[in-house]
Amino acid sequence: MDIKLRIKTVLNEAEIYRNQGLIAEAYDRYQNAVNLINSIEKLKNKDSLLKAIHEKILALNYTKEKVDKGPKTPELSKKAQDLIKNLFTFSENKDEDAAALEGAVTLAKFGQFDRALSDLNALLEKDSMRVDAAKNILRCYMASASVEDAVAQYKKWYTGDLFQPQQLETVRHYLEEILQKRGIEADLPSAITVEDTLDETLAVEDTVAEESEEEFLDITSIGITFERGARKGKMVELDVNFQSGNMLSLIIAKKDQDLLEGLDEGVKLKNVQFFSPIAIFNGVGTVVSKTQIKTGPKQGDYCLDIRISST
Amino acid sequence: MAIFNLKKREIECKVVYYGPGRCGKTTNLEYIFSSYKKQVKGEMVSINTEGDRTLFFDFLPMGLGQIRGCDVRVQLYTVPGQVKYSSTRKLVLRGVDGIVFVADSLEVRREKNMLSLKDLQANLKDYGKSIFKVPLVMQYNKRDLAEQGIPLMPIEQMERDLNRQLKVPAFEASAVVGTGVGNTLKECLKLTLQALQREFKWAK
Ligand SMILES: Nc1nc2c(ncn2[C@@H]2O[C@H](COP(=O)(O)OP(=O)(O)OP(=O)(O)O)[C@@H](O)[C@H]2O)c(=O)[nH]1
Ligand SMILES: [Mg+2]
Repeated sequence: MDIKLRIKTVLNEAEIYRNQGLIAEAYDRYQNAVNLINSIEKLKNKDSLLKAIHEKILALNYTKEKVDKGPKTPELSKKAQDLIKNLFTFSENKDEDAAALEGAVTLAKFGQFDRALSDLNALLEKDSMRVDAAKNILRCYMASASVEDAVAQYKKWYTGDLFQPQQLETVRHYLEEILQKRGIEADLPSAITVEDTLDETLAVEDTVAEESEEEFLDITSIGITFERGARKGKMVELDVNFQSGNMLSLIIAKKDQDLLEGLDEGVKLKNVQFFSPIAIFNGVGTVVSKTQIKTGPKQGDYCLDIRISST
Repeated sequence: MAIFNLKKREIECKVVYYGPGRCGKTTNLEYIFSSYKKQVKGEMVSINTEGDRTLFFDFLPMGLGQIRGCDVRVQLYTVPGQVKYSSTRKLVLRGVDGIVFVADSLEVRREKNMLSLKDLQANLKDYGKSIFKVPLVMQYNKRDLAEQGIPLMPIEQMERDLNRQLKVPAFEASAVVGTGVGNTLKECLKLTLQALQREFKWAK
């Protein structure tokens, strides 16, 4: 191909890529054009051509910078936030407060921390929601501001009188665990002196964006040893139907309903065996939800969600 | 994660447009919004960042009317294609019933298409879904650019790159002018509703 025609073609490509917002691709083409132009010794308006391209490249760099930085996560209008809440809050929580908590967590996931925080702070007033709201407030601070802010918030609660000692202790444990995972030592004052009175059945926490993503093996089935009820001490192996990270979903047929005895929401399973194609290992789990399937071929069966962690 | 209301005989399902950055997902929805007035049931909402790139998602509610005695509503979404928005992309995909994978026909975007498809597969897997089972349609977009002398991949190559194993229906398109947009959507809705029909057995 005639070299001038080639330059024209390359520049045309560059222009189109730039228009489409394909910055790296446009940059590459402009660079290519520069090289082609430089390879011709006697080109009439060589200098002005090179200058024009140089300016295009500068403009491109400027755009790239803007795109790369972006506004981190803008706080959206209330209308847009409400839409996000409606569209991305999945469980049909009948309980108004629980639904509000979920909505706030959804907003936090989309980086709408100011609104999430104000919704969560409102929920602190409700006794049954207080601990979960507090945990998520701390998570919001850690995701949007800093660990120090989270710790400062905890200390504020500690000196205030909104929380009952037991509630505050649960929150303290929660924060401490997160800090430990990050290798941070913080002296969190405790509202309870005898630590081991801790209520084991901590509420199930919801998660926001920052969650540490642990890799989990594909788990095909789990063995649960029952701690109470008619099957006390016995182990039952159950197939895992779905897995998403550390969340397992099991479908339990209606006829096996009696297995569900004692497996209520929030129950901690201290001794669970996980069977994966590669290994069998032990761990603990928490029953996150137990729902009866209302439609479809599995109507009447139960879906049990268990969050697990290996030990 | 369609919502099925047996009593009211209503079904609401979710279709997501997926694909690499700048491939034309938003442009697909914009075309649908302006051309299918009768089916569009509300405003299109776009949450964008710098340079009109999608930040969170685009959202477009549609109504298909009665299908086999059931009122069918569809929510169309696009994900943000930029690599750095991976967690939002995953959130938007949650509960999806049908997917349109928009691939960019530009030769220079070949690898980006493949990476995005892989990303889709990984995200679906995390939700307990298989890319081989989910209702899925391919769209090879920006075909119009061939006229302007821009190097595009031949369809056979795109089929080999993206659809050799999946073997899903694929459409050539030019979302800016609208060619292929309707056919892509129709096929995806067909597959999605067939799958929901199998799951919920709503028609007698
Ligand atoms: N020539 C041509 N341009 C297109 C076509 N489809 C989209 N574009 C252009 O490609 C660019 C990106 O389109 P968008 O629809 O914003 O892409 P997107 O996939 O939503 O991008 P992200 O939101 O960043 O993931 C825009 O400049 C569009 O005009 C097409 O079929 N032909
Ligand atoms: Mg977009």
